[in-house]
This record gives sequence, C-alpha cells and structure tokens, in this order.
Amino acid sequence: MPDVFTNIALQHYLIVGALMFAIGMIGFMCRRNLIVMFLCSELMLQGVAINFIAFGAFWGKLSGQAFVIFILAIAAAEAALALAIIVLLFRQKHTVDSQAFRELRG
Amino acid sequence: MVDPQTAFPVVISSLLAEVAGTSAQAATGPSAASAITSPVSPGAVVALCIVAGLATWLMLPGKREIAIRRVGAVILTAAALISAALLMRWTAAQGGMGAYFWIFSAIALVSSIRVITHTKPVYSALYFVLTVFATAGLFVLMWAEFMAAALVLIYAGAILITYVFVIMLASEAAAIGAGDNPAGTIPPEQDGISRSPLLASAVGFVLAGLLVYLILDKRNEIHRDVPHAATVAIVNQSGDTAHGDKAPGDTGHREELASAPALGKELVENHSINLQLSAILLTLAMVGAITLARRRVIVSEQDRLASVETVVVPGTPTDDNPHSILVYGTTNPRHKAYPEN
Repeated sequence: MPDVFTNIALQHYLIVGALMFAIGMIGFMCRRNLIVMFLCSELMLQGVAINFIAFGAFWGKLSGQAFVIFILAIAAAEAALALAIIVLLFRQKHTVDSQAFRELRG
Repeated sequence: MVDPQTAFPVVISSLLAEVAGTSAQAATGPSAASAITSPVSPGAVVALCIVAGLATWLMLPGKREIAIRRVGAVILTAAALISAALLMRWTAAQGGMGAYFWIFSAIALVSSIRVITHTKPVYSALYFVLTVFATAGLFVLMWAEFMAAALVLIYAGAILITYVFVIMLASEAAAIGAGDNPAGTIPPEQDGISRSPLLASAVGFVLAGLLVYLILDKRNEIHRDVPHAATVAIVNQSGDTAHGDKAPGDTGHREELASAPALGKELVENHSINLQLSAILLTLAMVGAITLARRRVIVSEQDRLASVETVVVPGTPTDDNPHSILVYGTTNPRHKAYPEN
C-alpha cells in the first residue's frame, strides 16, 4: 500500500465504485423480487460510499467520511421503511413479485 | 485532453476500426490524441463493456440452461481479468496499487455480481454481506477505519439481519401459497425469471463504460479546478503537484483521517444540522415502520361487546371523585357518561 493516496489510486477506487453502482442498477432493473431489488439499491449506495471515502482520502478531508455516515443513516431508514412496505404488500397478495403489483402503475 | 464533443467520434471510430478487423495501429490512429492521456484506449473500454454486458445478460436468471449461465460467468470473468490486467499494466509504471486493493475489489465486485444473479434471495443477502466486508476492507485501505467498523456493524449487523428476516417471512408463506413446485429445485417465478435482462444489462454497462472512460480520461483535471483556499494551501504544502501525481494525503492527514475523535469533531462542527436531521429521519423511519407494519385487527361491534365481561362488581369509590368508580362493560346508557378506562 503506497504511503500517499495518489491520483492513480483515486482512479482505481472510483472505477470500483462506478462498477458497483452499475451492477446494482442492473439488478434493480431486472430482478423481480422486491427484497432483492432493495438489496440492489443498497449495493448502489455502497458504490457511492466508496466514491465519498476515496475523495475524502484524496483531499485529506473528513467530509467524505461524514457524508458516508449520513448515507448509512439514510440506508437504515430506507431499509426499515421499505421492508415494512414489503411486508404490507406481501400481506395483500402473498407474493413479493413486483409484477404482481402492476395495477399500481398510473 | 480530449473534450467531450470530440471524444465520442473518437470512441466510435476506434470501435468501428476494431470491428472492421483493421490492425491495432490503425485503431489507435484516430485516437492518438486520447491515447496519450488515457491509459486504456476507448475502443478497449467499449469492447470490454459490450462483452461484459452480454455475459451479464447470459448470467442473469432466466429460462436458460445452467450451462449457458456458466458460460456467461466464464466470459465475464475473462473480461474482468482482461480489464484488471490493463489497469495493472498502467499502474505498474507508477508504483502499483498493492495486492490488497486488487483482492478486496475483486471480492466486492464478484460477490455483487452474485447478488444480482443468484436465484435464491437468502444467498443474495449473504453475498451482499460479503460485499460489505470487502468494501470495509477497501475503506481500511483508504484510512477510514471507523467507517469500516461502522459499515460492518450497521450493514452486516443490522440492515442485513432485517433483510434476512423479511426474506424468510415472505418466502416461507410464498412456498405455501404457490405449492406448484414441490421439488424445490425450480425457483419461484419472481426469482427465476428476470424482467428484460438484455435491456437492463445494456443500460448498466453503457453507464459503466461511460463512467470508467470519463474517470480515466479526466484524471488530470481533478487538481486543476480547486477553488478552495485551504485545499490549495495543503497542495502547496505537500510539494509539487503540477502533474497531478501527488495527493495531499501525507502522514499527518492520514492520522487525522483514521481517527474517530476527529471524525466526531468534524460531524459536530461542520455538519451539525445534517446530524440532527438524520437523527430526526431515523426516528421518523422507526415510527413509520411500526405504523406501517402493525397488523390492524378489525373487530365488529357485536364481537367487541360480546367479548367484554359483563359482570359488574359494585364500584367501590376510593374517594369522592365519581370518575374513580370503575365501570366494566355495562350497557346502561347512564353509565356511558363515565370514561371507561
């Protein structure tokens, strides 16, 4: 591990974050299980968190880590609410298939 | 530096040159301007993204044989190895990235691919735990040690446990409700068949290719747009940064980055409004989740009256206050005036 967080290192971490975000987006678009869809959104949030930490380490600032703390808070709140809504939807139709709720489309 | 207006024709022309089977020299000919600044040629980025997108499409759950999905996995692994080798060849001249980065990022990306391609949701959640651990390793490499611990605690410890609970609650009752796959080998339809996988992987890898190309292409411009005075001072202090090779992450900043007290001070001093807003958000989310998921039991008026005990013990007043007399389930309208609790 190099002692200095170089520009090259920043590129590598940004690439990993971008790939993780893209993978999460693919999963969110094509999976039909509601729970797995929200898992994929958590994956996208992690890609963003890698970017924040990388830029924070690059500039030698703590703001990146502070924003990752807020990302964690938002992810926890989102998981609680989304899973409550999924439980509600599951009680309605006894499935977590997102195609089963097509009539929700406006 | 190639500006975005001319970068796209360069990408397309070099891609067409490679598709047409011309030599590599001809392919790099029109993109010579970007070949100097970009370590990986745009044509290679586009080709790798196309290959990886097709492989991901093959790997996504669908009505295919499992052998085809394994072929997709092999192709995707090959594309990932080729791109990692290209990046390694580029960084070898500048000192390399260290083995830990490659190991952790490989674990993170492979397990995130498995999250979106596995047909069993519980396994998806467990692979996501693996992704969280690998990401925590990357955080440690970036000297964010407190954030690595917090990530493992909150994600792997709290959020994923909730996910696994809900997965098990939902899938157990779904198996009872479906009942048409007693063998258990065929996954239920919402897990086994994807929704437009080709479009999703195409869009996803177009996004990934654009991001990677931009990151590699604009890497020298990060140091130039620095309006922040303090940052400029740090840059000047850490020596020559004209070529964008050195970052202001010397040893003093590393110790500050890795310390939890400094992070707490930063949070309270510079982000105090955000901190309180996130506290309110978490409280509201808790209240909302309880309110949403609470099971409402609707009891008709007849049942409610029938279930109430009707035997009335004579109320024994403890003092002169008439409201202290307990009234149990009477139907006498005169007693209805009293509060029943």
